[in-house]
Amino acid sequence: MKTVVSVISAIIILIAGAIVENRFIKKQFDELNYSFSILYEKIDDETATEKDVYAVKEQWLNKKKSLHAFIPHNEIKEIDLWLFETAVLVRDKEWTEALSKVDVLISLSKEIPKTFSLSVENIF
Amino acid sequence: MAVIFIRTLIIYLTLTVVIRFLGKRQIGEMQPFEFIVTLIIADLACVPMSDVSIPLVYGIVSILALFIMHQLFFLLERRGNFFKKILSGKPSIVIDKDGVCIAELKKNNLGVDDLIESMRSQGYFSLDAVDYAIFEANGKLSALERTDYKAEKTSIPLLLINEGRIDKSNADKLQITEEMLKEFLEKNDCSLSKTEIMTVDGNGRVYFQKYKEKYKILFFELKEGVEF
Repeated sequence: MKTVVSVISAIIILIAGAIVENRFIKKQFDELNYSFSILYEKIDDETATEKDVYAVKEQWLNKKKSLHAFIPHNEIKEIDLWLFETAVLVRDKEWTEALSKVDVLISLSKEIPKTFSLSVENIF
Repeated sequence: MAVIFIRTLIIYLTLTVVIRFLGKRQIGEMQPFEFIVTLIIADLACVPMSDVSIPLVYGIVSILALFIMHQLFFLLERRGNFFKKILSGKPSIVIDKDGVCIAELKKNNLGVDDLIESMRSQGYFSLDAVDYAIFEANGKLSALERTDYKAEKTSIPLLLINEGRIDKSNADKLQITEEMLKEFLEKNDCSLSKTEIMTVDGNGRVYFQKYKEKYKILFFELKEGVEF
């Protein structure tokens, strides 16, 4: 009986954990994706300022504290890096290059949550 | 989390199948599914512990997945002989009253030398010291001693012929030449290819088993000065 209870408890913990993790990561990256998209539009219009990038960076820094628990830290570092480069390029008003950096950020915010979904390519 | 869980399950199941096919030699007093947990749990715990770039939750999920699989296998094994046979295998009788059962040894990827080694660790130095020897599902050897075994004085027997092949290093130790051996076999109406097992101890006492025949205890006249 003890064994059955322990197995069922472990399965429940894992299923609940997986659901919470999946939803949490998706929500965080959806919000980030929205912010990156707005930043992209502003850079495209050449109206973006360093302040806009720092606002996104601030949002990312808040999110990354909790994301560290679920995502390999190397992937988090990548976003840090691209965001920092975007800030420098916006400050120097190098719009074309800044656009390409934000493009990568948008792509990362879409791709990272996908690596946590149940799919054949992720399992194998 | 779900991806890691499923990946761990796949690896666990693959290892269980492989360990079952590897036979009893690879297992040290554990059931195969217990052996696998022991084998990989340390690594699972160590990697996220030492590599700070990997979230701790990855290690925890894998360990929980292993725990679930182990407990499920444990429950299945207790449900009856069918599952027990599939998951852990069954005991193999490797020595009976007729002698060594080579086929059973082969089924478990074991050789006569492995059997002799396991018997020595149980305190039996001669193949005829026991009436029955059984390799349990966990790889441990259990033996039923022959009642009159202790009354016989023997020295350590060496494996001289193993499935028709001469062990030359043991033959050298006993100073037995190929000619002497062939002469001995002819005298006993046998040939090298028909001999399944032959051990000789320092007193010249021979455990002799032809293919598909009951073993015999014979005597081999060793050269003077051979001490073993």
